[in-house]
Amino acid sequence: MTQTLIACPGCDLLQRLPPLAPGERTRCARCGHLLAKRVVNSLDRCLALTIAAAVLFLLANVSPLMGLSVVGRTASTTIIGGAVTMWRHDERITAAVVAFCAVLAPAAFLIALLTVLVTERRASSRGLPTPRWIGEILRWTRYLHAWSLLEVMLLGMMVALVKIAEVAQVSADVGIFSVAALTLLFPAIMAHFDPLEIWQRIEWTSAPAAGKPIGAAPGAVTHE
Amino acid sequence: MSNPGSSAATAGVIGCEVCSLVCRPAPGAGITLQGGGFCPRCGEALHSRRPGSIQTTWSLVIAAAICYLPANALPVLTRTQLGSAPESDTILGGVMVLYRSGSWPLALIVLIASVMIPLGKLLALGYLLVKVQHGRISGPHEQTRLYRLMELIGRWSMLDVFVDAYSVALLQLQPLMSVTPGPGIVFFAAVVILTMLAVEYFDPRLIWDASNEVGSVT
Amino acid sequence: MTEDPSPNAPRGTPADAGGRGNDHPPHATLVRRKRVHVSAVWVIPALAVVVALGIAIQRILAEGPTITISFATAEGIQAGKTVLKYRDVTIGQVTGVGFNKDYSQVVVTARVRRSEADLIVKDTQFWVESPRFSLKGVSGLDTLLSGDYIGVEPGTSHESQRHFKGLDEPPPITGQKGRRFTLQAKDLGSLEIGSLIYYKSLPVGEVEKYSVASDGRSFKITAFIKSPYDQYVHTETRFWNASGLDISVGKNGSIVDVRMVSLAALLAGGVSFETPDFASETPVAPTDFGFKLYSTREAAMKQPPAHTRHFVLSFDQPVRGLSVGAPVTLMGLAVGEVTRIGFTYNPKTLAVHPLVYFNFYPEEAAMRFPSEEQAAVRRNTEQDAQRQITMLRRLVEERGLRARLRTASLLTGQQYISFEFDPQAPKVKVDWTRNPLELPVAPGEIEDLETKLESILGKIDRMPITEIGERISIALRTLNGTLSEAQHLLRDADTSSVPRVNKALDDVDRALDNANATLLGKGAPDQEALRQALEELANTARSLRALTDYLERHPEALIRGRVSEHSSAGGRQ
Repeated sequence: MTQTLIACPGCDLLQRLPPLAPGERTRCARCGHLLAKRVVNSLDRCLALTIAAAVLFLLANVSPLMGLSVVGRTASTTIIGGAVTMWRHDERITAAVVAFCAVLAPAAFLIALLTVLVTERRASSRGLPTPRWIGEILRWTRYLHAWSLLEVMLLGMMVALVKIAEVAQVSADVGIFSVAALTLLFPAIMAHFDPLEIWQRIEWTSAPAAGKPIGAAPGAVTHE
Repeated sequence: MSNPGSSAATAGVIGCEVCSLVCRPAPGAGITLQGGGFCPRCGEALHSRRPGSIQTTWSLVIAAAICYLPANALPVLTRTQLGSAPESDTILGGVMVLYRSGSWPLALIVLIASVMIPLGKLLALGYLLVKVQHGRISGPHEQTRLYRLMELIGRWSMLDVFVDAYSVALLQLQPLMSVTPGPGIVFFAAVVILTMLAVEYFDPRLIWDASNEVGSVT
Repeated sequence: MTEDPSPNAPRGTPADAGGRGNDHPPHATLVRRKRVHVSAVWVIPALAVVVALGIAIQRILAEGPTITISFATAEGIQAGKTVLKYRDVTIGQVTGVGFNKDYSQVVVTARVRRSEADLIVKDTQFWVESPRFSLKGVSGLDTLLSGDYIGVEPGTSHESQRHFKGLDEPPPITGQKGRRFTLQAKDLGSLEIGSLIYYKSLPVGEVEKYSVASDGRSFKITAFIKSPYDQYVHTETRFWNASGLDISVGKNGSIVDVRMVSLAALLAGGVSFETPDFASETPVAPTDFGFKLYSTREAAMKQPPAHTRHFVLSFDQPVRGLSVGAPVTLMGLAVGEVTRIGFTYNPKTLAVHPLVYFNFYPEEAAMRFPSEEQAAVRRNTEQDAQRQITMLRRLVEERGLRARLRTASLLTGQQYISFEFDPQAPKVKVDWTRNPLELPVAPGEIEDLETKLESILGKIDRMPITEIGERISIALRTLNGTLSEAQHLLRDADTSSVPRVNKALDDVDRALDNANATLLGKGAPDQEALRQALEELANTARSLRALTDYLERHPEALIRGRVSEHSSAGGRQ
């Protein structure tokens, strides 16, 4: 069922969605909010990019980000090392924030997205509707993406690197390059991600109104 | 687009926030801020507008503003070098240090990200809230653009937290030099989180409701 | 073969539009190849996987073995920070610090780089390098800034090993070239591990370790001499303990030399070595050659005389100031030394005499002759024992060669044996067949001071003390008489002052009476005793005069002791 009616999330204007050719996007007539897009081979591309991002994310977290050396002493850290160090210095809240924004949120995002994409792919290839619980996960992906601050972290690391380079010799390591790659991959994923398509294929929590062509708004259901 | 159209609220339908399905409110419920039932597709509670948006946003903004003072007054980083006393820097102090040591681009970045953006967000949110509450917005497009800008830029104010965390993580070379985080950093993180939440909770549709274009729902 | 075109079969383009004759060619089957459409986007994850795998494999390959080292304490060691270094190159890192089962040892887990894995063999040594202040100086200062590290000294074994026991101290001399020798000493003195070894005041090595010898009576010290100085160690090289100050006291008791090798040796002990001149032709000593560690340079450099003759002397007088090693001089020049001092007992006369054994070194004596005469002297003293005895006999009988016990210094009371020629010496009977030969002894000088005192007393004796005494006695009597007369006179004088004067005179009288009684009365010491006392006084005075006479002529004798004509040569080589 292709949804043709939408209320703009930006200004609540009720409007029809025109049929989209692959690669086309449609925006709200009033406020310009992006309403829908149709991506070529959305699922495949999204899945590929997400897998790449997952691999690189693992690499980024286990590898040292950068190394420094001064008068024979060396030090290096990983992404989680930043959070751990803050924790050790009794900055527990900050440590939790860093851990969440740099590790937990992106990780959860990638896992959730992978689950959704894989399930959706399998369901669509078999012609089945997407299971309901995917919807819950799909909902979370939005928030998790909002809190994945990988690019901010990258810039923060680079500022720190420059500050340290004044007093010690620094060398960038595998970790920071992986983070840089992730910073490029995440927007690519989001560019190819079409949640509306998945939503339209998802199994409804409650039975749809029978036979009504889409255009007339189906009735909502009251249930607890 | 010849038809100016009406907002979903005036049309008597609700667009699901999660899955964008346009639904009629459940029988017995109305288009009220209390909600109109549950979305049949994704099961999410249907609300025409985010409930308590203005209140929640105000409380978050005020909380962030309260945290903003210690965030800038307290030091965020303390440097201890062999042979000298420990030096503590606030956010602005850190900017000055960067500027004096010659890397003024970095100083500018940190200044924008850590001082201007949070302050800007607080001011912009306050402005939007006031405007929405007074019910007369003449240029909803600009406001919307402001809101979208905050959505995009907001996350970057977390920059200084990461700079702090990774500086501390690396520069632990006792007794030669070491840095420790200061008390200000947690307040700063709080400011960033609170403003990000505030932006999330603010319902941009209220801007359009408050404008003269279409009817609004109070 | 005509194929039925089923409704599901892919529709190919038929050759005809249908309805023609039967001889239209059959339909070719068009098997549409199922193209697997893989979009180019999958390159990205493939690339990511390849990169990740590559890095992972590289890391695994570069990872070397994990080893454990047990130490007594983990001081200075931090997991993830402390590194292992060999020749200042980081070859591994500590990954964990923990305990062994019963918490008695700290177990340090470390990972060594693959490229250096073959350094970790059975006898590889590990220790913690930290700043050390030792008597050699300060070492390991760089660790103040860079943090302690674990030093590695690879062993020579070919067997690899993974579990080690760490050393508490850095191992001695790592990787330095040189050779080791063994020194044997009765006493360590102030030597310790690390004490320096000097060659002509230049530090060239150090004491590596020491242990008590199996018989428990001496120490075995391993000395490491750096190259190229180890080539100066010959088989006849002498090692001595150069700790502290080396004060040589001359044979006559004077301090002739104060030496100090270095401040370090003063504080920490040190060993010096040198090859004596007489042994410079000896070959270079092989590694681990054993040497004796002498206690002083003098003792070390002393040449064992090639030829030694043993003699004995029997004295009549106490030999308290004589000690083993005291010099035996001939006409003032050292030609031997005392080796043993004992008693001899003559059962017939019940006399106990000190018996002094000494060595005579003809080489030393010969060296003092001018070179032209040396050969002749050598002939006489070294070769034939009979010839020697003949010569000695002639010296004793014709020239009066006698041994005398003399005092080297009034200060120390040290004595020595001096052989002198005294033509007036009374003839003695020498048993020339006795072995060791007993040489004749002349009365020594030990009672000199007593004799002198006696002569002083003799002089006092000669003084006319008796007459003086008698005259005093007469004078006193006369005074008595005078006073009696004075009394008579005064009795006729004024009676008022007289009683006072009388009283005074009475007192005087009494005093004089007392004096009289004391000197001449009944209880007075016997005149004879008085005379004896005065006689003794005269004797003392006489001896004293002789001494003063002598001192007038030889004032230096007060310090140096009485010596014969030539000045002492001392014992210096």
